[in-house]
Amino acid sequence: MTQSAWWRRFHARGVFWRQLLRFAILNVPPWIEPIVMAFWAVFFLLWGPGRRGVMRNLKVIKPGSLAIANFFRCYRVFWNYAWTIADNVRFKELRTIPDWEFIGWNHFQAMQASNGAILLTAHMGSYDLGAHLFSETSTRRIVMVRAPEEDPQTREFEEHHGAEGLRIEFNTRATELALDLLETVREGAIVAIQGDRVVGSISTLPATFFGKPATVPAGPFALALAARVPIYPVFVVRAGRRRYRLVTSRPIEITRSRNRDDDFARAIAQWMTELEDVVRGCWYQWFTFEPYWPEAAA
Amino acid sequence: MNLVTDHPEAHWLPSRHRFALAKLIAYAKLRGARDVASNAEHLILPIDRDQTSAEINGVAIWVFVTTVCYIAAALPLIWPAAIIIAIPIAAIVLQFPTVGIGPIVRMLIGDGNHIKIISAIAMSLLVIASSYVAASHSWARYAAWFFFAVLIVNGAAAIVVWFLRGPIRAAEERCAR
Repeated sequence: MTQSAWWRRFHARGVFWRQLLRFAILNVPPWIEPIVMAFWAVFFLLWGPGRRGVMRNLKVIKPGSLAIANFFRCYRVFWNYAWTIADNVRFKELRTIPDWEFIGWNHFQAMQASNGAILLTAHMGSYDLGAHLFSETSTRRIVMVRAPEEDPQTREFEEHHGAEGLRIEFNTRATELALDLLETVREGAIVAIQGDRVVGSISTLPATFFGKPATVPAGPFALALAARVPIYPVFVVRAGRRRYRLVTSRPIEITRSRNRDDDFARAIAQWMTELEDVVRGCWYQWFTFEPYWPEAAA
Repeated sequence: MNLVTDHPEAHWLPSRHRFALAKLIAYAKLRGARDVASNAEHLILPIDRDQTSAEINGVAIWVFVTTVCYIAAALPLIWPAAIIIAIPIAAIVLQFPTVGIGPIVRMLIGDGNHIKIISAIAMSLLVIASSYVAASHSWARYAAWFFFAVLIVNGAAAIVVWFLRGPIRAAEERCAR
């Protein structure tokens, strides 16, 4: 192994931190855990790009907020992030599930009963944990689409320690994946996609988020239109220690008209309204560590 | 793992608590719980002894404050400065059982869940430290006495829980039905 490859494991997205987290889950007594979390969440603040990304996003979500206040808010974001990734690993390793509260239960049941649907969610709370819960409790097959880990060792580690019964597809092979997903959703499965931020070179659609221009992945909307299935906005919100709230909103139906851009625009406007409501209320668990808006990145 | 669905009062199942004192309080709350309101339209509550936040966070704060007191008393500083410096040190010290003993346990018995062993070792180390501080003339001895008082009360609660094991099981079954 080369020197650079050896060091790569300690990078922010390196495999060492995943291994350390797994070790902690298997060895830290629960009654020491809150102290360990508070301590290690401080170390996230040393991750400059992540910290700056969160603070810039908070500046837009909370207009007029002070930098010092956003610094402490940033700690709260990292604290929640630490808990959610820990809960996810705890589920994979020890099968420990948290308390679940469902809001919008009728929409959730409708999604389960539907003959194919898109579950559109955001980088908040524990998306992974929610998907694993569905895979174990639902009669529907669920396919989760996500961005792959950047680091090859981290990717290998995650594949090795993944939960059974959940099919994960990576959004790197766009055309092939689109056809696969179309077939899957037509067979009656639920396809879970994160629709809040654009990762990598995927096709996008214009949107307005917190009054500023933004882009969202085009994939879920194009898939819903092609497969003629509804999109269910679902958010997995951390409500406390080992306690999550699963909020399902009314479905987004994409109706076909002569103007496809208008069809998408209406669907995206509804999605952004739902997303904005949730992010405004739960800004402390919107895990977007890069500046979301182009102007926030400047 | 067992699950209880759509019974908000199941939050107070004694089986969802780790320590005897918490189990006893939970049993009292469960007996008094009638038609507990919940904002959730559907609820899934796993029966796991480490599930209750108030208990685990309460114990974590108590252990942390106790450790801060012991470390602050050992530092050659005036007490306000000693406490400020003791806070990060205590956060590090409390991780020693995991970081120091965890790899040894893993080496001896292999990869897996070692929480019970580490938990027992960590609590034993805390008892040893508390015994030492309790016998000293330092101001931290009050924290050590309080530590032992809690242990004694928890021990008494464990006896009561043992005598009440039948009614507790019946109450839990009624709630989970």
